[in-house]
Amino acid sequence: MTKSNLKKEIVPVLFLTFVVCISVIFLYGTNSVTEEYIENAKNDAVKSMLKEQFTEMDDYSYDEKLDFYTVFLNGEIVGYAFIAVANGYGGPIELIVALESNFLQEDEIIIHGISVVSHSETPGLGEKIVEASFSDQFTGINFNDVALTRDGGKIDAISGATVSSSAVVDSVFNSVKEKADIIRENFDLNNGEES
Amino acid sequence: MTEIIENLKNGIIKSNPVLILLLGLCPTLAVSTSIDNAFGMTAAVLFVLISSNIIVSLIRNYTPQRVRIPVFIVIIATLVTIVDLTMQAFLPSLSKSLGIFIPLIVVNCIILGRAEAFASKNKVPNAIMDAVGMGIGFGIAITIISFLRQILGTGNLAVFGNEIFNVPGLSENPMSIFILPMGAFLVISLLLATLRYLGVIKSG
Repeated sequence: MTKSNLKKEIVPVLFLTFVVCISVIFLYGTNSVTEEYIENAKNDAVKSMLKEQFTEMDDYSYDEKLDFYTVFLNGEIVGYAFIAVANGYGGPIELIVALESNFLQEDEIIIHGISVVSHSETPGLGEKIVEASFSDQFTGINFNDVALTRDGGKIDAISGATVSSSAVVDSVFNSVKEKADIIRENFDLNNGEES
Repeated sequence: MTEIIENLKNGIIKSNPVLILLLGLCPTLAVSTSIDNAFGMTAAVLFVLISSNIIVSLIRNYTPQRVRIPVFIVIIATLVTIVDLTMQAFLPSLSKSLGIFIPLIVVNCIILGRAEAFASKNKVPNAIMDAVGMGIGFGIAITIISFLRQILGTGNLAVFGNEIFNVPGLSENPMSIFILPMGAFLVISLLLATLRYLGVIKSG
């Protein structure tokens, strides 16, 4: 390979490397400036999401390992919440499911309420899962009653959006069943340590 | 001077990126469900387009021909990531509704197209005017499409939460199809057909 040929080969490589290095510096800079704000924005989003269910709350803690939120007011536990993902008609539906705090002492699990965090359901049909007329049906009912009316439960499906409705119902029922045990075990552990 | 104004006008009317060059149709189809999204997307595209045109134009004499496309892509991707992070930090609600479409600006052909076809061959002031013109042209097109889709699909027009007006009859029974992806194709093709019929777009 002649010298000029070598130069022809190597210059583009060096130039591209140089451009990438500059780009990395800029991205590092932007990331370190925005990191804190993004974290705060996410935190605020979670808080306002929990506030929808527990209007009287002032703080929350998140258990990373077990993936649920404990909601506090003046240091007292007012309830628990977690994110459930349903398999909707147009893609995943993210729901927040809130549980009453007293389910630890009693056998029955009462649902405090649910709300939709994000979804991509059909506008005008499946989209109605975000409306209060649908989601309020979950408020205050025993989790064993979480099923569509035609299956003997207490939830009326949205007409024309059976897939979206039953996706939400199934996901709430299954996730509560799974999560309640986890929260109970976790609570026992904490209790043991505290007493 | 006239040349610079010509560059600006070019993007808005004569070679409007969406309506005439038919570039950047994916973001146009995907985010034109509401006027808010259209404005957010336009702002993001304008910023990325202007910055990428400036940078590409500045380094045009040093960029080796063989690696120019990867170099442009790296520049555009860096700018888009900066926009994405900034939006997440300071405008979380807009960032949530534009979601995946911001990273997709990287592959928006308007930006790579202008970098390759214009900025890499022209001086910085011309490149800036070209970017502004193309950005505004994109903005006008996506706003018209969003306006039609929002009116037909939801029956009312609301911009950033302020309701401007609603169409009686249509708001109770909206034609939801126009909000769905299929509606985007309908609106954009009917719009192109109308413009062609009126002679705004000349064939050939």
